[in-house]
Amino acid sequence: MAEPAQGGLKPSQGGRRRWRPQWTARMALIPAMTITIVCFYGFIIWTFVISLTRSRLLPVYKFTGFDQYFRLFANERWWTAMQNLAIHGVLFIGGCMLFGYLLAILIDRGIKAEGLFRTVFMLPLSMSFIVTGVIWQWVMNPGLGLQEAVRALGWASFEFNWIVRPDRSIYTLAIAGIWQQVGLCMALFLAGLRNIDPNIWKATRVDGIPVWRVYLHVITPMLRTVFFTVFILMSAIVMKAFDLVVALTGGGPGFSSDLPARFVVDHILNRQELGLGAAGAFVLLCTVIAVISPYIHFELRKERGGRGH
Amino acid sequence: MKKFSKVAVLAAFMSTGVSAGALHAQTAEVLHWWTSGSEQAALAEVRKAFEAKGGAWVDTPIAGGGNARAAAVNRMLGGDPASVFQFSIGQQLRELADQGLLANVDKIASEEHWDEKLPPLIVKAAKYDGEYIAAPINIHGENWMFFNKAGLEKAGVDVPKSWSEFMTAAKKLEDAGIIPIGLGGQPWQERIMFNSVLLGVGGRDFYAKLYSTLDDDLLASDTMGKVFETFAALKPFVDESSPGRNWNEATNMVIKGDAAFQFMGDWAKGEIIAAGVEPGSTVGCAFAPAIDTAYIMTVDAFAFSAMDGEEEATPAQAKMAQVMLEPDVQIAFNKKKGSIPARLDVPADSFDSCAQMAIKTLQDPKTHLVSTGLFGVPSSVSGAIDDSISNFWNSADMSPQEGQEQFRQAIANAK
Repeated sequence: MAEPAQGGLKPSQGGRRRWRPQWTARMALIPAMTITIVCFYGFIIWTFVISLTRSRLLPVYKFTGFDQYFRLFANERWWTAMQNLAIHGVLFIGGCMLFGYLLAILIDRGIKAEGLFRTVFMLPLSMSFIVTGVIWQWVMNPGLGLQEAVRALGWASFEFNWIVRPDRSIYTLAIAGIWQQVGLCMALFLAGLRNIDPNIWKATRVDGIPVWRVYLHVITPMLRTVFFTVFILMSAIVMKAFDLVVALTGGGPGFSSDLPARFVVDHILNRQELGLGAAGAFVLLCTVIAVISPYIHFELRKERGGRGH
Repeated sequence: MKKFSKVAVLAAFMSTGVSAGALHAQTAEVLHWWTSGSEQAALAEVRKAFEAKGGAWVDTPIAGGGNARAAAVNRMLGGDPASVFQFSIGQQLRELADQGLLANVDKIASEEHWDEKLPPLIVKAAKYDGEYIAAPINIHGENWMFFNKAGLEKAGVDVPKSWSEFMTAAKKLEDAGIIPIGLGGQPWQERIMFNSVLLGVGGRDFYAKLYSTLDDDLLASDTMGKVFETFAALKPFVDESSPGRNWNEATNMVIKGDAAFQFMGDWAKGEIIAAGVEPGSTVGCAFAPAIDTAYIMTVDAFAFSAMDGEEEATPAQAKMAQVMLEPDVQIAFNKKKGSIPARLDVPADSFDSCAQMAIKTLQDPKTHLVSTGLFGVPSSVSGAIDDSISNFWNSADMSPQEGQEQFRQAIANAK
């Protein structure tokens, strides 16, 4: 209550006109805020509460302390899923950034038929993860796709069977994921590159600096905020990755390519392990916060600091 | 004038109210996940019989078992339950009964003597507190071995009766250029094959004791060690592309002769019939090799929501339960579904040869076994069993001893 009163008093010399629009804006924000508070924070709290109970099919509020967490941590499949999340996260985010940036640079160097290439690279983005998963499942199926095709051409010892190998299946996720998202990263980087002041290029040319060094030491640091944006966008995709695994490998062979989100959904919907699933979801959230927030904090502080000067 | 019209409107309302009430008594909303062609055709038989008895059927199909189960539960919790819904019988259904969400059909069941007509293990699974909370409509078998007769002939092998015979046959098939086992590499399919090995190597008493008690000594026993050794020995007989394959694709491999054997439930017959092949002709069926004869049953069942909190079934619900177990409906439904009747007293002669074999086998109660979940094992444990078997099957470097130990621990953790 105190805040709006202050807001009303302060600008009284400047004019009462500002008081009203502020209130209208606030009123307009109320629905969105309610939804965020209830659906987002409210359900996070509820999930945590459920994870402390022994709920199976239905939510029951018989509390058992951190029992579900002990069960979760004793579960081999959970650890495989967490490890996979780390592998997939590094490969996918790294791959998207690297290839997206390289493609953007190639296009920025004045390639012929730029529009065509831009469309080609962006096209996979128009497909859902389910479709992407199914396509790559066919491509990587050893008896059906790439391996069979190359062998039919005469290279009989050619092997590309990662999707059926438990020790490699997790990498197939990154391949399909990068293929789909690299276009978006490219577009973002390209927008950044186009915003670079042409005078910088002129200056470096005068100084006789090789092009690759300009990109590495001058342009890349200038694109810091674009890298940050891409990182955040891609991290969000990694954390919620569910449909891609379901369509591509089904978590298999065994559970070798399982991801935490699939673990959680599987346990809540198919195995009637509401409590365990909730515990998994909460641990996942904590992990995300622990990994991402230092970086966000660091970047935002830097930005604010920069603006102050 | 105004007053009159008000009365007329009121009267009209009342009359519709009354007729709606009468209609309500005969109306059953049926929520189910049978959306494929043969499944729909099978369910249509039940619907026909129900409507012939004056019932009104409101159909609510939801694709996918998991989705349909979730929808049924959500509607129940939301206070607008479907009066009849398909559900797996076992621990989860008991949990719903525990919360007072289910109606029992015990009255009609005792009138119709279900206790004597259904296999005792299924009677036990369909009851909660001694009362029927579900109507089992059929029996599917899970320890079938389908085989391509031409393929077996080409390799010069007979249908194996024991697992050691199977290994010899598989080697010959491999030499003849046929994939010995067409397997869909998904956890539940790998579990079906594992259970066939478990039953075949350990015998029916061992199987029943293991899953009904989950006893640690049994899990660590030498017999279990042999089960894992036999299961591991099957690994080389599966083709490279198996992981992730759907069960019906594997069935088609057997129909076409690319693969020789498939270990699958008898719903595979639906796929065989759809390919224009009579089960038992070019694609043969036999029980998976075993030291004694047994049939691993799994059932499809319908449960009944407590309408307005009433735990006694409404007339429409009772009628539905009765119709589902009527001998004529049982025959018509199960012939289309590819399963066998839940009642063992129904004449078998109109069924295909595989189904007849199953019906004949089940006349001996000693052969009765049920699938993992029906022993009252919580779904957390049956899920952990799937995970552990699948992990063992797909880990080339895991020894049978390690597999057995991992299986034991997974069950201990999930219990």
